[in-house]
Amino acid sequence: MRRILNAEWAGLLAAIVVGAIVLAVVSPNFLSEFNFYVLLRSVCVSIIVAFAQMVTLAVGQMNLSVGALGGMTAILFGGMMEVFGVPLWLAVPIAIGIGVLGGLVNGLLAARTGINGFIVTLATASAFTGVNLGLTKSVPFYRMPVALQDFGNGRIGALPFLLIAPLVVSPLLALFLFRLPIGRRLLAVGGNSQAAALSGISPGKAIVLAHCLSGLLAAIGAVLAVAQLGSAQPLIGSDWLLLSFAAPIIGGTALAGGYVSIIGAILAVLVIALIQNGLVLAKVDPYWVQFLLGALIVATISLNRWRARPIRLG
Amino acid sequence: MTDRVLDLPRRQPIVLGQQAGLVVILVLLGALFTSKSPGFLSSFNLFVLGRSLAIDIVIGFSQMVVLATGGMNLSVGSIGVCVVMMGGYLMQVVGLSVPIACALALVLGGALGWLNGFTIARSGVNSFIVTLASANLFSGAMLILTKATPLNALPRSVAAFGQMRIGGGWVSPMLAMAMAIGVALIIFYRYSVIGRQSLATGANQRAAEMSGVPVGRRVIAAHALSGVLAGVAGLLTVARVGAAMPAVGGQDWLLPSFLGPVLGGAALAGGFVSVGGTMLGAALVTTIRSGLLVMGIGNFWLDLFLGLFLLAAVLLQRYRGALSPRSRMPRV
Repeated sequence: MRRILNAEWAGLLAAIVVGAIVLAVVSPNFLSEFNFYVLLRSVCVSIIVAFAQMVTLAVGQMNLSVGALGGMTAILFGGMMEVFGVPLWLAVPIAIGIGVLGGLVNGLLAARTGINGFIVTLATASAFTGVNLGLTKSVPFYRMPVALQDFGNGRIGALPFLLIAPLVVSPLLALFLFRLPIGRRLLAVGGNSQAAALSGISPGKAIVLAHCLSGLLAAIGAVLAVAQLGSAQPLIGSDWLLLSFAAPIIGGTALAGGYVSIIGAILAVLVIALIQNGLVLAKVDPYWVQFLLGALIVATISLNRWRARPIRLG
Repeated sequence: MTDRVLDLPRRQPIVLGQQAGLVVILVLLGALFTSKSPGFLSSFNLFVLGRSLAIDIVIGFSQMVVLATGGMNLSVGSIGVCVVMMGGYLMQVVGLSVPIACALALVLGGALGWLNGFTIARSGVNSFIVTLASANLFSGAMLILTKATPLNALPRSVAAFGQMRIGGGWVSPMLAMAMAIGVALIIFYRYSVIGRQSLATGANQRAAEMSGVPVGRRVIAAHALSGVLAGVAGLLTVARVGAAMPAVGGQDWLLPSFLGPVLGGAALAGGFVSVGGTMLGAALVTTIRSGLLVMGIGNFWLDLFLGLFLLAAVLLQRYRGALSPRSRMPRV
């Protein structure tokens, strides 16, 4: 119990519990099975997207192309099934391969040229978006395989099938980052790149690896988003950027690298989803979501700074 | 970042020098587009180009002044659109005269920028995350207040300013304005104490603080200035379009805002700016965008080419710098 209270995500957990109680009291619809299903379904893609950014943050980089790469992967995934009739079992690994490839491009450019990763991914984001819009002319691919749509819509009670993805990915990512030597190296480079290099770890390789992993996760997010929507929309990914940073940062991941919190990121996504759900239930203007998300980030950062205050003074 | 070599600004020939590579790329691109489509160098197209260029330059400046202090401002586009809508509201709904409305709207831009700077300086949180959050805060608030409705019954003089041509019919007064701002910034960074202190803050914050530079105040000032410049870019857009649109700015400004200064040689780590370089970088962005449109490459492919060209230009800058020892490039 004490361990839970001391964890940095204890505040988030409390926020979720309080938020849920408030919503349940204010709106009776909140506790309905269907609303829980909608809530959980909206969380699945977001968690994977948050992870996609978190792994680049872990190594001290950032990936501004998360959404653009996800969008491009989504329409290539949908396009190859609709236009070329690629079967689903083959399309999913190809889509994930595309994501890894996009990440590899980011990683190699960031690691080998010495150009700041921020600028690299800003430029590749524009390129990926261009491929997306150029190929689709903003028209979605609608005819998706039935199996994929069933997966996107299926549920057992309040639990959507889509939830399988974060349930599988989260432990694997935790295993990778916290138990495998290669994941530890990644965090070491993020913590102090020079110290890592002097200990015989190649920062370049770690950066490339982190970007590949980020691309992989973005692609998984894209496939899930296509399944969820039932069509490959060119707009997939266009709203991922803020969320991808907000969730890890609110969850306690260090922007400077070297420290990540998987549970924190998941809880942060839940908080954001609760806010969105609450706004929908309260029938508030959707524009408020953007505003409140921005406010939430500022509030969290201020809170963390305030908590760290005595340490800074000492 | 603590091991970074102190990269104090060096004096250099006003515009060229490091930026020779950029000029070459620009001339080549201009020649390519002219040969593919003779209309590219027509007086009208140059006028239109100049208008876009003016806006791109000021957007670049808006980012550059923050890069100088070692921060970044992701809310350039959001502040821009807030100023656009505020200006439109004051002119159309309140009925203030154009100059007063513009001045008041720019005050809002400065205030929003100040808010960014204040949060960053007081909390010590990375400017990236603060401005990412405030970008959404600002544009969210703007959408809530305006309900995303454009204001298109502005006074005629606004659109007339956008259509005005000077200097033989191919120069827009907007371009002259951008140039004037550039000259003012050169003077600011070369000769004013505050300008020098801003660069010192960006080069090495601790050293600057030890030397008595009020680091926090310089960061706040840079962000306020960035807000005003973003507002100027927004108002120029209003003059060009003749209406205050809530779709202006936002994320569309993000890439140009960084690429102008970065292509021009500003170090992302701070401490070095190049006003002339930023202008050339903006010229590259404008040329690519308009050239692709003139050549009839659909709007949809624009993002791809913009991304690829700019990546290529950054790489070229980087390796040109690495190959020629005399022009030591700061790491981009």
